[in-house]
Amino acid sequence: MKRAAITIVAAVGGLAGVLGFNVGGSRAPLLHSAAPASNPPATPPPGSTSTPASNPGTTPASGSGSPPTGVRSALGNTYQYGYGKLAVRVTLNGSTITHVATVGLQTAESYSQQIAQQVIPLLRHEVLSAQSARVNGFSGATYTSEAYIYSLQSALDKLHKK
Amino acid sequence: MAATVHTVEVMGTVVSFHVHASALTESDLAAALAEATASLRHDDATFSTWKPESPMSRLRRGELRLEDAPAEVAEVLDLCVAAGTLSQGWFDAYAMPGGVDPTGLVKGWSLERALAVLVNAGVSSAMVNGGGDIACHGEPPQGGPWRVGIRHPWRADALAAVLEVERAVATSGEYERGRHLFDPIGRPGPPPASATVTGPSLTLADALATAVAVGGDAVLDIVASIDGYDAYLIGADGSESATSGIRFSDANGPA
Repeated sequence: MKRAAITIVAAVGGLAGVLGFNVGGSRAPLLHSAAPASNPPATPPPGSTSTPASNPGTTPASGSGSPPTGVRSALGNTYQYGYGKLAVRVTLNGSTITHVATVGLQTAESYSQQIAQQVIPLLRHEVLSAQSARVNGFSGATYTSEAYIYSLQSALDKLHKK
Repeated sequence: MAATVHTVEVMGTVVSFHVHASALTESDLAAALAEATASLRHDDATFSTWKPESPMSRLRRGELRLEDAPAEVAEVLDLCVAAGTLSQGWFDAYAMPGGVDPTGLVKGWSLERALAVLVNAGVSSAMVNGGGDIACHGEPPQGGPWRVGIRHPWRADALAAVLEVERAVATSGEYERGRHLFDPIGRPGPPPASATVTGPSLTLADALATAVAVGGDAVLDIVASIDGYDAYLIGADGSESATSGIRFSDANGPA
């Protein structure tokens, strides 16, 4: 149980180097991309579940209340995405998103575990890059991505940022 | 005005409405969103093949005749036939195991209907996104076309492309939900990784994305021949192809 949580955190941590990656140019070249097998970095045991999203709710690290200044974080609601559950914690510095982490993740089967690993870090990057990539929406994966966005939105709502 | 985002759990996924501009008061907008949500729930209750009591499920089991079903059922099945003809058989709701199944088209149709509810109520700029099937109305906040990121099928940290879209975009692919697509023609070899279709109607874009995901390159020319529709395909080997009208955008957007 706990083990899965740790590997997920490790997978997210392993992406830290990627966060500076610029989606830039018009497209990421596909022919040079890794084959499916070389993804993802961490492989939790199949069928494992994880992490009750222990839920401190909003934690103002500074300046709770009035204008959006300082570093604040909030945990979004936990959402089902068809095969499992996830929750997202978002951290703002002023009005800028500085950190997004998946803190609750539970999947019903090994297949969706794979999907979760591929999609969740991607979305984390997108949230952070959205401020420069400026897209209106994303097309592609379904369950996990929407649950992620849903939880993220609820976290942002808690921080009064729309 | 800041975007109003409204999310709904329905049709086995989450649908988000993003309203960027409207002449409505806050309470009128809330009422319009509630009506759009009810429209989605109504369609889900009518067409879900997962709900045993839905009219669609009863029709499939032979417990309900088409003429006794809600009028939308015949409407959607007619659209399925039309999409089947336009796709030259690559989309075939009647070849599905378990009986006629409009799943590859009805989500797009339902999302389009829900967006129309908002537009009729006075919303002038909005986008609805149901698990990557997107319909837009009016101009996005930044002006120009709507910009939609297409997920990279394998690289967790990247988009494969950013497309400029006027009205609708749908992506279908094996990486979405596993092997949920059924090939009515029985083509050999692995299916494409990601098939995206843009065009004026999300109903047809949804069905055509399903067709391209099943048929791959063979279906690109068919999509190109349909007025207003274009396709972007990422093959199982990572190769890319697209019809000439697809509009790739600089990922960093307009200056």
